[in-house]
Order: sequence, then C-alpha cells, then structure tokens
Amino acid sequence: MNNIFYTELNKILVTYNDLIIDINKQISYLFISRSSDYYLTFRNIIISLINNTEIIIIDSDLSDIEIKSLNIQEDDINKKINCTFNKIKDEKDLLERIKNANNWSLTIYTSGTTGVPKKVTHTFLSLTKAVKVDNNKSDDIWGFAYNPTHIAGIQVFFQALLNLNQIVRLFQISNNDIYSSINNYQITNISATPTYYRLLVNKSEIFTSVKRLTFGGEVFDENLISPLQIMFPNAKILNIYASTEIGTLFISHCDEFTVQEELKNKIKIINGELYVLRNILGKLEGNDNNDEWYKTNDKVEILSNEPLKIKFVGRINETINVGGYKVFPVEIEKIINNIPGVRNCVVYGKKNSVMGNLICCDIEKESEELNEELIFNFLKSKLQPYKIPRIIKFVSTIKTTRTGKVTRL
Amino acid sequence: METKIHEIINLILINRKKNKVDEISNEHHLRDYLNLDSLDLAELTVRIENEFGIDVFEDGIVETVGEIIEKLKKNE
Repeated sequence: MNNIFYTELNKILVTYNDLIIDINKQISYLFISRSSDYYLTFRNIIISLINNTEIIIIDSDLSDIEIKSLNIQEDDINKKINCTFNKIKDEKDLLERIKNANNWSLTIYTSGTTGVPKKVTHTFLSLTKAVKVDNNKSDDIWGFAYNPTHIAGIQVFFQALLNLNQIVRLFQISNNDIYSSINNYQITNISATPTYYRLLVNKSEIFTSVKRLTFGGEVFDENLISPLQIMFPNAKILNIYASTEIGTLFISHCDEFTVQEELKNKIKIINGELYVLRNILGKLEGNDNNDEWYKTNDKVEILSNEPLKIKFVGRINETINVGGYKVFPVEIEKIINNIPGVRNCVVYGKKNSVMGNLICCDIEKESEELNEELIFNFLKSKLQPYKIPRIIKFVSTIKTTRTGKVTRL
Repeated sequence: METKIHEIINLILINRKKNKVDEISNEHHLRDYLNLDSLDLAELTVRIENEFGIDVFEDGIVETVGEIIEKLKKNE
C-alpha cells in the first residue's frame, strides 16, 4: 500500500511512506512553526504529535511587530524541540501514535474581530471531536482550501490524516490550477468559505468527482447552492459551524442547524446570542473571564424549539450602527451578491459624525454594464434605506483575509 | 473647491433620484432647499472627507452649502 499524503499540482507529491521516512530523519522541530510551505507545516504538526510535545502555528507572513502583538517570547521564536520518539514503522503505527498524543497541544491565534489576537490552545481531543474515521472514507481525496494555520484548515487536515487520505492544495492558487487539480486528482471532498466558493463558481466547468462540499468560516450563503450544484452535480452540500475556540460544533445541510440531543445541554441562547459550555472549548488565554458559559458573539435566530433548530445571522460585533439602526453586513452582501454582474462584494461601515456610520460597499464586477445606478435601483425594493450602501466602489479584487474570509474595512 | 462640493451634492441628488440643481449657491439650505435627509448628509460628509480629509459635521450639523465651504477654508 502506498497512499498519497499530500500533493500540489505539478509540484509536490508525498506518499505516506515518504512522510514517515522524512519524519524518522528529523532530530528536532521548530516550536513555533511559521512556514509558508503547507507540507512542512503538516509534517511539523505530525512530528509534534508523535513526539507528544507542544507546537505553535503562526502565519508565515506575520511581521515582527505583529509577532510581538502575539506576546510570543523572543527566546521561543527559533526554539527547537528535540525529537525523542522511536522510529515510526508504518502507516498503522503512525496513526496509533498520533491517537495516543495525550500531552500534545497545538496553539493557534485567532485574528480577533477587535484586532487583538487571541491565543487558543487545543488538545488532540478538542481538535478531533468532529473527525469521522470510517472505512468508507478511506478513498476520500481532500481539496485543501484553507490556510493551514486556520482552525478550519487544521480540522480538514485531521479528517484527512486520520483516514490516511490524500490532501490536495487548492488554496492560494489560480482558478485554472484549482480546476485542473480537481480533475487530475479526482478530488472528492472540498471544504471552504463561502467567499472561496463565490470566486470559484464558473458556469462552464463541471466536476463529477466531488461528492461533498462543505461550507465553513463565514455565514452561509444560500445563493451559492444552485451554481455550485450545477458545477458539482454529484456533491452533497454541508454547512459547518465552527470557531477557533470551539472547533466544529454543528453540521447541517443548509443554513438551518438542528441541535443534536447530546449538544442540547452544552449550548444556550441568550438574547439571540449563542453561548457554549466552556468544557468543550480549547483553552483560551487573555482577558477571557472563566464563566461556565462561553459567549461566542454569534447571533442566532431560533427557528423551532422541538427539535431545536437555529440559524446563524451574523457576528455581534460585526453589526454596523447607522443612526441607531443595527445593520448586519452579511445580510446586505447576500443580496448584492445576487445582482447579475456582481462577482463578490464586501459591505462595511464608514465612520461619520452625522449618523455614526454609513454603509459602503466594494464590488468586484464581472459585467461591464453594471453601474451604481443599476445597483441602487435593484436594492431600493429589497432593503430599507439605511441598509443600502451609499458609496459603492468598484474594485478589481476584494481583499480576503489569510483564511479566505472577506476583509471588512 | 466650491465646484467640487457642488458636484458632490449633485451626485448625491442624482443617485437618490432627487432633482438635480443647476446652480448651487452658498445660501442654499442643505435640508430645506436641497432636500437632503440624514442619510444624504451622512453620505455628503463621508464624500467630502474622502476628498478633503475633513469631517465638516464634526462639531455640529451645518445648515447651508456656504457653511461647508467656510469650514473647509478654515482648515486649509
């Protein structure tokens, strides 16, 4: 058996055997992994698991000032941890050892909507609670469409690794390379943000190998379902609610989440906000108080009580206050993304002393005919006046964060 | 500068399907004469700030076109 572990189109192909040989050769690993090379990042995570010791993962492009803001000790930056493990024999041995990494921990940082990065330390159990290992998953081939420093990326990594699946890089490469990778490697599963899918949609491309598309990282966008279903006719579409602090919590078929029995006493909803029982989270550091219930800042709407069905409507601190009216940018983005000729958009508030904030929007268009007037006319019948962006800027690309989410200015 | 302010006001009026004003004079009252509502004024202040880097409504609402020009001149 020679399963493939990791591939990048026309560049890298590493089998699980290659990986084991590579790991066995290492005498140490960097305590703070900061590589832009996806394979090295994955390999370092696995080495730390086998060694049963800590690892921190940060983005490779962080500046020194940004690293300082993470409160990382200078001594730790180039610190190496010695490898003390016995050589790995084979794939089975690799998996056994990973599953027994009881002292292992992985620390990542959230971008933090307030601008202050938050440190989150996960154990093997907290990271893999949603991972499914099953014989019928042994042929899955994962399109990897997140940054490996992002919680969603790490979860996809574990889902693939624990099933000895192949991981194919689909992030930060051109759309043409993404299309070729899906075809060449016959990718079966892709997990990505709505923004990623929005930029991927192409009416002339059809991929029959993909059987599951998962949404994560941002509020679900139902407008994407029909174009994606045409592009991926055999795919089942799933939506995931996960966060850096919690990992994966809910999975659903659309934007409605049915809360499973076993989770019912682990969540509660107060004033439309989701709270999660602290003992199912990773360990948080910082000004977080230690209340039994963790405030997620995610706003939910209850659709029914028996069974409990909820829908995520946005982030609490992502509301824009326009003269006392609260505006959810996500709601407006969804409508604008539905205007023919709009490829992607980002809605944000611009501070002003008249109404506190004014709704503005940057639009990436795919049709030359689209202009401000057409957009205003379209929105007039769909949104209350205070929600309609007053200043529209056409841009060549919408900025996305490292994790593929749109950046609100 | 005056021409630019007039252009911005007309842009807002046209975008909102309000009547464009051929001649804007400094005496014109922003709300009563030009018929700008609070969202229009918020838009006006953001557009002026984008252009001149000054928040003209910072210390209270200004009433007329002339008052905007005056504020901008003071800060020049």
